Parts: sequence; structure tokens; C-alpha cells
Amino acid sequence: MFSRMAYFGRETLISLRRNLLMTLAGIITVFVSLSVLGGALLISRIVDHGTQQWKDGVELEVFMNVDATDNQIEAVRTMLANSPDVRRYTYLSKDDAYREFKRIFRNDPDFVSSIDASALPPSFRVAPARAELTDTLARRFEGEPGVDEVKTASKEVKRLLSATRFLRLGFITVSFVLALASLFLIVNTIRLATFARRREIEVMKLVGASNWFVRIPFMLEGLVQGLIGAGLAFGAVAALKVVLTDVIDRNSAFYRGFYLTSADATQIGMLVLLFGAVLGVIGSAVGLRRFIEV
Amino acid sequence: MIRFEHVTKTYKNDVVALRDVTVDVAKGEFVFLVGPSGSGKSTFLRLLLREELPTEGRIIVAGRDITKLGTWKVPQLRRNIGCIFQDYKLLPNKTVYENVAFASEVIGRPQHVIRTQVPQILDLVGLAKKADNFPDELSGGEQQRVSIARAFVNRPLILLADEPTGNLDPATTTGIMRLLDRINRTGTTVVMATHDSRIVDMMRRRVIELDHGMLVRDQARGVYGVGG
Repeated sequence: MFSRMAYFGRETLISLRRNLLMTLAGIITVFVSLSVLGGALLISRIVDHGTQQWKDGVELEVFMNVDATDNQIEAVRTMLANSPDVRRYTYLSKDDAYREFKRIFRNDPDFVSSIDASALPPSFRVAPARAELTDTLARRFEGEPGVDEVKTASKEVKRLLSATRFLRLGFITVSFVLALASLFLIVNTIRLATFARRREIEVMKLVGASNWFVRIPFMLEGLVQGLIGAGLAFGAVAALKVVLTDVIDRNSAFYRGFYLTSADATQIGMLVLLFGAVLGVIGSAVGLRRFIEV
Repeated sequence: MIRFEHVTKTYKNDVVALRDVTVDVAKGEFVFLVGPSGSGKSTFLRLLLREELPTEGRIIVAGRDITKLGTWKVPQLRRNIGCIFQDYKLLPNKTVYENVAFASEVIGRPQHVIRTQVPQILDLVGLAKKADNFPDELSGGEQQRVSIARAFVNRPLILLADEPTGNLDPATTTGIMRLLDRINRTGTTVVMATHDSRIVDMMRRRVIELDHGMLVRDQARGVYGVGG
């Protein structure tokens, strides 16, 4: 078993070196395409955090009084549930509100510890059936017993959301096109590699080497390209995370509620690595298709 | 060991390479396959290696109908069949030793087995002293011996030889034939396609003659040409 691993490792390395230029081209395009993808995901993650309450068509939030009774809350819930103008609503209890509060002010632990869940009002987030109904709905709920105030999404938030949507779409399209280019380059590298080693492959088939035995060094070659490119992109995502966090912290008044955790960056980085591996394996599988037929 | 039952092979361009060929080769036989170019000899060998499938008929190798073999089992079949060719098909960037060892490595033989078997087989073909030479440093006859060593190192049941002496002078040819005879005496079935009437006449083994894809002669102790 060990000697077989050594064999695969050796063959993969030799082949990568022999096609150095093509290999590098493949790695670089994987890197660029996955970095663009990672960047797009990071930025939209920030916006998600900062505009969480206005996601999925939520246009207004009905805040109850801190001391609203259960009956008052139930009355508002019933109204929301029965109104044809409401598409969807979610209820945020005091505990839910506290969790969100802690996240938004995570840089200010003193402030967080000075307040507990009972001081925060419960609320309903409401998505109207149509955006034009927002003001009508807001007025209707403002006077209800137990309701403190109704907040609607500001113009700025709406603009930010649509801008990000647009940006995200653009970035993902670009990274998709680049990913296709990198796939093409990997396919080509593997084809060249099989061509360079066609005599070996011929002999292998002749003496009865199993198909997987012939394939594995080439599959590894594609995988290595994809993973190296993705590893570099992982680094780019990590660096971008640091830069973005820095920008947000320096303008913390403007970007209240916007933040990025290390977990976000790691998650996106892992996704990028996975994409890289998939690109490499698909590329080599396509590149091998013609050659390995028995 | 090998049985063709009413085998017909028609290629895509309607060329009929073999026409209703039925033949039976027993274990340990030495068979010459003769006939002019285009008579179907190569197709015969390619069918045995499962590089092609017959259009009709069955081919049984070592008790198995290889026309019904799944693709993934083809390597297993080929481990039972050693092959040598007119152009040797050696790997130029590997030494004699490495060329032979390669055939063992790629079917997953453990290193310690390879290290004992390769020198033995090189000794058998008379090339123990050339183990570290590269193929282009050897004569044609020596290169063919390397390819025989490579074909035989995994101890196949059958050895297929496609014009193995086509590029060799008469003296060298005799040496190669002696080697194939020796391998045959270890119980290996040998099927050799050839044009060389001199060898066939000299060896006096079974001769199967093909012409335009048809089996025209099957003679136990034959010579190259009828009555020749």
C-alpha cells in the first residue's frame, strides 16, 4: 500500500513539473476566480449582518412596549395573521431581541452587560404583500394598545440592499466565468499530461493495470492544481476579512451593526477550498475521458 | 485455453476482418497464425485482448466468455495475457530493469516480489548484465528480449506475439524463437502471428492460416505455405 502511495505521489509530481507553465496558469485562474467569489461572499455577509432586520421583503418592524401584556401581543399577532396586506411576519421575543443586541454591540461589552433581556421590547417583523402597503400598515398598527412605535426600512437601507444584490450578482457571474476558464485550463493540462505519457499508459493497459491505477496520478494532478489555487484564494479571503474589519471599525459610527466574524471568513474559505477541489477533479475527469477508454 | 466460436468481426466501414472463425487452442500449445497482410491476424489478436468486441460469436479465454466481460474486468483478463510486438513498445526513459519492473508495479505487485522476480526473468532472457542500460543502447534482438521479459514477468497463461521477428535478422530471429520455445515449455500457451515462412517451417508447430478473414487451414505440424 505504501509503495503504491509513493508511486502516485511521484508520478503526480513529475507530471506537474513537466507541464509547469500550464499548471501555473491553471492554479492562477483558480486562485483569481475563487478570490472574486470569496470577496463577493464576504461583502454580502457583512451586508447581511448589518441589514438582518430588513431581509426577505421585511419593510417594517412593530415594536411593543417593554411592559406590553401577553394579551396585547396576542392581539397584534392575530391582526397580522388575519390581514390580507401582510405576506409574512416573524415574532422576536425579548430573548431574541437580546441576542441580536449583543451581536450588534459586541465591541462594547460594558454597554451589553449594563442591560438585560427584560429591558428590551419584543417586536414583529412584517413583510407586506406589496411594498406600497408599508405606510398604510405602519399607520394601522401605530395606534394599537401596547404598541410603542413602528419603524420602516429607510431609503438608505433599501438602496444598500438592492446595490448589494446587484453587486453580488455581478461578482458571482465574473467568478463563474473565471471558474469556467480555469476548468478549461485544467482539462487542457491533463490532456497534455496524458499525451506526454501515452506510451506509459499504453503499456499499463497492455499489462492489465486497472483503470483507476492509470487515472489516479492524473486525478491527483488536477486536484493539486485546484487545491493550491483555492488555498491561495483562502489566504486572500482571510486578508480581505482583516482589511474589511479594519474599515468597519474605523468608521464604526457609520457602520453600526455591520461586522464580520472569523467564523464567517473560515466558512467562506472552506467553501472556496471545496470549490477548488471540485474544479480540479471535474477538470481532470473531463481531461481523462477520451484517453482512458479501454 | 482459447476458443473462438463462429466469430465474425465487421468494422464500422463495413470491412469484414474475420468471417465465421471457429478455432480451439489447448493449454500449452504453440500456434502460428499466418496469412497475408489484411487477412485478419491483427484483428484476431485484438479480439483476444478485448481491444475490440466481435460482431458475432463468442470468444472463450481460460474458461471465460470475454465478450461478456464488464469493462472493469478487462484489466484482469490482460494480466493473463502477455504481449510482444514488432516495435517492442519499450519505454525509452526507463532502463531495462525499470521497463520490466514497471509491468509488475502497475498491477500492484509488492516491491519485494518485484525485486526478486525481475532479476530472475532478466536472467532467463539472457540480459542480466544489461539491466541498467536504456533501450536505445541495445540491439534490436536485445530490445525484443526485454519486451519478452516484460510480457512474461507477471506469469501470464498466454503469450501473444505480433510479428516479433519482423525487424530482426535471421540469426537474432533464431535466438528469439528459442526463447519463445522455452517459455512455451513452461506451460505458457503461445500464439504468434508472423509472415516469416522460414521460422514456421523450422519450428513445425500448429499453423492456423487466415485469408480474407476466413480460416483456410488448421494444421497440426504445419509449414508456412500449403505443401511448401
